[in-house]
Amino acid sequence: MFHVTGAFLFMGGGIAAGVLNLRAWYAERPSEVALLLRLIQRVALPAIGIGSITALVLGIWLVHHAGYSYGTFWVWAAIVLWAVAGGLGGRSGRYQERAAKEARRLIETGDTMTAELRALVRNPVGNALAYGSGVTLLLILILMVWKPGQ
Amino acid sequence: MIAMLRPHSWDFPLFLHVFGAIVLFGSTLATASLALAGWRLPTVRALSRSSFWAVLGAAIPAWILMRVGAQWTYSKEKDSFFTGGDPTWVGIGFVIADLGALILLLTAGFAFWWQRSQRPVAGRIVAVLASLYVVLLAVAWLAMSGKWGGVVG
Repeated sequence: MFHVTGAFLFMGGGIAAGVLNLRAWYAERPSEVALLLRLIQRVALPAIGIGSITALVLGIWLVHHAGYSYGTFWVWAAIVLWAVAGGLGGRSGRYQERAAKEARRLIETGDTMTAELRALVRNPVGNALAYGSGVTLLLILILMVWKPGQ
Repeated sequence: MIAMLRPHSWDFPLFLHVFGAIVLFGSTLATASLALAGWRLPTVRALSRSSFWAVLGAAIPAWILMRVGAQWTYSKEKDSFFTGGDPTWVGIGFVIADLGALILLLTAGFAFWWQRSQRPVAGRIVAVLASLYVVLLAVAWLAMSGKWGGVVG
């Protein structure tokens, strides 16, 4: 039950971050970009952090408790993908932090949107990392349901 | 227990149900956080506009996916596990799912009103409805994953 709670917080937090990040694309002022990116930090990231740790720790315990083997494909692949998702998400966070910093600077100089801030928010590498992390979470869910190699 | 016993032909409907539920939770969480932020900043257009699109573009499609997956999974499981009637966890899931349709439609309506009028009361109603549904979704996943009331009916 609490493993599933962790998974919902982890993956649901990722979805919330994705929705808020996508809305930042369409923000019309730097203050709006800053606000939406701050919501990712204050709501989505804590959910992702608590959920990812809970899902991993209780998942490893469940493998032992339910008599699965750690050498089974779906078990070790899920652990590897968990680490990949964390790595991709962490790297994408740096791009968002750069955009948030630029947005805060622009708020102080008239709160007018610039091409530079728009480019930072829509940075293809940063977004590929963020949404790649989401795809990785989807692969983990597929492994958890189908359990290939079991 | 059902997870250990279910045949692979049940996996796809279950995946649709769980995937839809996760997207529904995440998009409702995003809506609630946007509307709660709007409590102090009700005239920030990005908050009202984003709340409306989070409900309409993500939460409602996810609800449809979750509900279709739920019914499909239920149709496969009921003859094997629920011959004596639906267990408590299935009933809780159905009630929260179906009540959720009403809550989401009301949330979308008030979010549309908030976006159009920028009236604080509309944003506050969106915040209350979306937060309520986040809590109900948590109850649903706890009941369903913990198999409250026993695994079989």
